[in-house]
Amino acid sequence: MEGKKKRLLVLYASQTGNAMDVAERVGREAERGGCPSVEVQSMDHFDPNTLPSESTVIFVVSTTGQGDPPDTMKVFWRFLLKRNLGSSWLEGLHYAVFGLGDSGYQKYNFAAKKLDKRLQDLGAKPIIEKGLGDDQHPSGYEGALDPWLMSLWKTLNHVNSTILPEMSEILHPSMNKLEHPKFKIMYHASSEVVQHDTHISDLKDMKNMIERARSMSPSLHGHDHGEPHYLLKMVTNKQLSKGDDGRDVRQFVLEPLASVVEYQVGDVLEVLPGQNPAFVDAFIKRCKLDPDSYITIEPWSGERDAMDSYVNGSSDHPIQLRTFVSRAMDVASASPRRYFFEVMSYYASAEHEKEKLQFFASPEGRDDLYQYNQKEHRTVLEVLEDFPSVELPFEWLVQLVPPLKKRLFSISSSPLAHPNQVHLTVSVVSTMTPLKRRRYGLCSSWLASLDPNKNEEVLVPSWIHRGTLPPPPPMLPLILIGPGTGCAPFRAYIEERAMQNLVESTAPILFFFGCRNRDSDFLYQDFWLAHSSDDGILSEEKGGGFYVAFSREQERKVYVQHKIREQSARVWGLLNAGAAIYLAGSSTKMPADVTEALEEVVAKESGVSREAAARWLKTLEKAGRFNIETWS
Amino acid sequence: MALVLTDEVSLPLRVIRDLKSEGLNEEEAVVITQCGSLGGKLSFGDAFFGTVFVLLSKIDNLTDQWVSEISRVLKPGAQVLLQTLLLPDNQAKPSSQIERKLLISGFVDVQSTDGSQSVLVKGKKASWSTGSSFPLKKTAKVLPKIQLSDESDLIDEDSLLSEEDLKKPELPLVGDCEVGSTRKACKNCTCGRAEAEQKVEKLQLTAEQISNPQSACGNCGLGDAFRCGGCPYKGLPPFKLGEKVSFGGDFLAADI
Repeated sequence: MEGKKKRLLVLYASQTGNAMDVAERVGREAERGGCPSVEVQSMDHFDPNTLPSESTVIFVVSTTGQGDPPDTMKVFWRFLLKRNLGSSWLEGLHYAVFGLGDSGYQKYNFAAKKLDKRLQDLGAKPIIEKGLGDDQHPSGYEGALDPWLMSLWKTLNHVNSTILPEMSEILHPSMNKLEHPKFKIMYHASSEVVQHDTHISDLKDMKNMIERARSMSPSLHGHDHGEPHYLLKMVTNKQLSKGDDGRDVRQFVLEPLASVVEYQVGDVLEVLPGQNPAFVDAFIKRCKLDPDSYITIEPWSGERDAMDSYVNGSSDHPIQLRTFVSRAMDVASASPRRYFFEVMSYYASAEHEKEKLQFFASPEGRDDLYQYNQKEHRTVLEVLEDFPSVELPFEWLVQLVPPLKKRLFSISSSPLAHPNQVHLTVSVVSTMTPLKRRRYGLCSSWLASLDPNKNEEVLVPSWIHRGTLPPPPPMLPLILIGPGTGCAPFRAYIEERAMQNLVESTAPILFFFGCRNRDSDFLYQDFWLAHSSDDGILSEEKGGGFYVAFSREQERKVYVQHKIREQSARVWGLLNAGAAIYLAGSSTKMPADVTEALEEVVAKESGVSREAAARWLKTLEKAGRFNIETWS
Repeated sequence: MALVLTDEVSLPLRVIRDLKSEGLNEEEAVVITQCGSLGGKLSFGDAFFGTVFVLLSKIDNLTDQWVSEISRVLKPGAQVLLQTLLLPDNQAKPSSQIERKLLISGFVDVQSTDGSQSVLVKGKKASWSTGSSFPLKKTAKVLPKIQLSDESDLIDEDSLLSEEDLKKPELPLVGDCEVGSTRKACKNCTCGRAEAEQKVEKLQLTAEQISNPQSACGNCGLGDAFRCGGCPYKGLPPFKLGEKVSFGGDFLAADI
């Protein structure tokens, strides 16, 4: 192993933070086992060219619902797929792969499975077989992680006992030695702080303050996007759904205060939600913090290494503690992770609380923790209130409280039709936990609470990003499939094409929509009907069409895929004329069901076999003419 | 019923009579002159005419919009005849220009005759209405070609998956049937779990239990982390024994 780095490297690709959490646990256990050199890195911060110089790498990768790797893995993965790497490029590399996925999906853990095979094909040797975490398991991915991790350490130790000299600490953790936090908090006297850091006099100051607060958060790992592009005001907040089956779908119209908002159809709006001030105050009070103090966050040792390089320049601009909590720490929505409970156990003064927390953090207590924490969507505030004797230092809170995440929404308006406005079509997320507690989505319920007539000062910090769906040129025929809130980007496409149609010739659009019944959730009913009559761009006269599946208006369920099969000739006619297919929505199974229906249509209308039709659709996907965008 | 359409201001009757040889029955014909002023729209319903004759002085007046209007008012399978005068400075082959326009709009059996003074182009409207299916010639079992950007320097990642990987995954088996864990009792439960679950659900809180909560085990007030499976207070925030229980749920819900 000459020239190879003698360290244990843990590389992760995380979409929602779970894979990152697993990777950090792997790194932590290795350290406890006395491993001399451990490094945990996100894949998008790692140069794949240097992979051959590593000796031992543990990969932790998530797979999204549609079978794709996380965004942070795309570049790394593309590099690994290069034909010219050769079958001995990774000779001498020992590796193991752990995947996080959901067996409810056809493409279960595809990213991990493909990675494992490719690494072998490139000459690397697996230490143990790949581990596959499954959300469907009663205790989630930890059900597979615990035994896999134990097997990994035992095998590594067997092969080379110098890697984990303190193996006993892993096998029988003594639970009385806690490592130090990764960061330290510096408190600054208010006299030190420059005036503009304390006082927000205009929008520019507010944007700057948000950026400073979030860039100081180590959990946001330099993946944040700087200052908000816009601070938008809510001008319309209208409920689109009716009826009492609990569904609350809103139309939000947002406008910039003092600038012009620029975007194109297909773009997404990224929003930083506000937190209920009562919760922020309750958290600060519970943790005995001083909201008015000014803080900066530094790496623990004061040395800069690869992991800490994202905490930069923070000592120049201290931020008010309350602002940091409010803008960067999720205190009343996201659930903490297992490690939070482990650290809490060290700081519990009541014996029964200490015992319970140690139990929750142990492999034996894993299922119970899953029930108490993940299944109940426990918030940090709730957990702290359930364990009142725990006094966690702020350093640990900064490291362990889930970061306040921004949310993405498809924009449902065309700037041609609504200049300087951004429309969103949002379903207010609401779930009932097993213990019958109702939980609301943080961002959707916050937006729904903004009253255009009242909240003059409540602004929505927003970013505009290019969406995954590219805007279609006017002469491209379109087949759009968007049940429920999946119709959001298509309202934008249709508005845009209707405007374009006034001045130039445009190609027809077939639009398939689905909802439960026309009286409760037929979103934008008047809009679609207006465009499908009078020679509108959705009208059959123009070569287009608008078809709705009402799932609950009859005995058997009718969905968009049934409507697609009914209109098989029309669909094929447009596909033959070069149409592109766009599919959007929030349902987990809908994309697979629709793809199946499309395969049937292609096979039936052209006379080829199902397999040939499926391959053709796959090629269509690669060519960018079959686009799927789903969200949970 | 036939339609005679012209962009000219006037049409000599002689021309109408000449069209008889092409099948025009003058007793049932509608003549429209100066059609350029109509803005590309005819006030007749769909599939109204058995034949349409178009007499053009300028080929450019035959816009795509006119061609589709003509198609619209024609019965399926019916014929359109276009005649245009050849002017001395005409570009070569005006007939192919007209043919192309007809083909793009879905006309079939398009043929043209080039005379010394004029060209005549005929076409038939397709005898199926838009949207109905029809069998393609059996030999043409070929799908339209798709242009792919060149990515030949990467391997096909789907080839990395095995047969096993592509099969529908099995959901994990859950061995235990303990009450309170995630799996619910089956509809035809025989192990008694369904009865046990019934018992748990029936534990509604009485007014007494809310205003003066007591706990035999001592854990009910400590919060969900400490409560046992059968605890009536499950789901509620922690409380002090003897003090009225608050339903913190509202506090934690968003202010909608």
